[in-house]
Amino acid sequence: MGIAMYTLRKQPSSGVGAMEAKALASPSESSDAGGCLEDLNDDENSYASGCRSNLQCRKVASTGRWIDDLGMAELVLRKGNTWNSTGIIRNGKVLCFIEETLFLAEIGAFKILNDDNTILPMREIYGKALEAKNGCLWESFEAYKRLKSLGYIIGRHGISWSVKSVGTILPPEGLSDIDKKDFESIESTHISKTFTGMQRKEVQPIFDVYNPSSKFKKSSPGHPSFVLCLARGQPPSKQEVEDLENRCGCPLKFCKVDVGRTSFFSIDRVELPALP
Amino acid sequence: MGTRWKWKGAKEKALADPMSQIVCQLQSCLLQSNSQVLLTSSCGLLEADDQQSELLDRACFGYRIITAEKGNRLFTLSMEETFYLFYILKCIKVIGEDKCEKSCEELWSFMNSCSENFTNLFKAYSHLRMKNWVVKPGNLYGADFVAYRHHPSLVHSEYAVLVLSDGQVESNGRLLVWSDFEGALRVTGGVAKTLLILYINKSGTEVTSPSCFENFLVEERTITRWSPEQCREDQTSLKKSLDADKRGHKKVRPKKKPSVKNNLGLIITGGLVCSLLISNCFLLARLWRSKL
Repeated sequence: MGIAMYTLRKQPSSGVGAMEAKALASPSESSDAGGCLEDLNDDENSYASGCRSNLQCRKVASTGRWIDDLGMAELVLRKGNTWNSTGIIRNGKVLCFIEETLFLAEIGAFKILNDDNTILPMREIYGKALEAKNGCLWESFEAYKRLKSLGYIIGRHGISWSVKSVGTILPPEGLSDIDKKDFESIESTHISKTFTGMQRKEVQPIFDVYNPSSKFKKSSPGHPSFVLCLARGQPPSKQEVEDLENRCGCPLKFCKVDVGRTSFFSIDRVELPALP
Repeated sequence: MGTRWKWKGAKEKALADPMSQIVCQLQSCLLQSNSQVLLTSSCGLLEADDQQSELLDRACFGYRIITAEKGNRLFTLSMEETFYLFYILKCIKVIGEDKCEKSCEELWSFMNSCSENFTNLFKAYSHLRMKNWVVKPGNLYGADFVAYRHHPSLVHSEYAVLVLSDGQVESNGRLLVWSDFEGALRVTGGVAKTLLILYINKSGTEVTSPSCFENFLVEERTITRWSPEQCREDQTSLKKSLDADKRGHKKVRPKKKPSVKNNLGLIITGGLVCSLLISNCFLLARLWRSKL
């Protein structure tokens, strides 16, 4: 790339300069430089890609309202197809968790209204992300953002996308006019179960992640591609990995979040082949 | 990281010459000649004739000691290798410092006294060897072993192996903090190997005799970094083809032109040097004559 830039700089000047630039950009040299760059890129990809995020800002924004009791935002005005794979459906309403709300707000795709119909500033949404009762650690949000911006479909671990998709959680009777408290009664147990008491050193499953797909349906999400576990403090021990595998029953990935850098790991059971 | 064969055709060569057969040949050859291994404080010494040393090299057991003496060669064997040849292949006798033959129990307790982790390391070593993987020390990569799919002259080692166990041994202190974990991944990734953890599960067996090994369970796990950018399903195929293109270009381009240039350069410089030498010879000859 250095050579290419050099060529660009030199070209408008005298003929000699242009020739020099041409000589520098001879096939062998430029391909060497390419090779070098490629290696560097590989390195970046596998070890430090956390620092690059490809956030794409949106022009159309949906609107939502923050429901403090639930610790979730309710979608009021739906725009764009983001919502095919974001937010859970309860009683015909779309609710989204703080990580979803914050992510969409960051890229300008979601405006959150206050009680007095003014738009909530970003600073306050960040403030909500820090509140423990909203159930999302900052590390979880970093991991969410990284995967979501790459198109992965992410739901909170163990929480169904829509009430219909899981037989055990039945929608309350009298569907017509349900207020916040009903939502709360359905969800509170789950949310508190998944996120309370997350210890500094514990490894916890946080998200069910599906590979990017345009065919995703909240009513039949299928099995997640993997369950993302957040490891804080220490790497997961063998015992912890085994327990989580038994609990989740699907492939696991582990993530570790440092300031601005999210690393993902697989710790997979393998069987080396017996060779001839 | 996958298998990286060292040259074109290496894979076919490996397939045509399975490691299990080489080890079998080595076993019968050592057995026939009633081979003896001399036990030192940290390794075994094996004297081998031409055929044996060829087989030891091909099966990748031990390291050759180069000496000025012609004839038989000496090989140093690691503790695990010595015990594998002795206990699993049953093709050598082991002689102690007192020049007496060691019994199985004696040898086993001696090796355990040399290293408290011997039982675990041996279980891991034999586990991989019995699957016909070639196992060599991993000290260059901060690991216990490295595992090759075949002879190291044909293929790069695929796994850096760390051996952990359920007991209270020092080596279990590894990978407990993130810096260790990330360091191990960085090193193995940097040399295109996969980090393989072998957990030795003694399942409560008291380690009192060599036969305990058979009850140990070995669990294999790989630890890898996962890149969300590269693993999105729709992107993988695209990226692969792009990479292949790049590599193709890289290989084809630089090879042809420089070689022609280099050859020309060589011919020209060679010619110059030759002519200089010849003219110098003439000059010298004249000087001689004139002096005489």
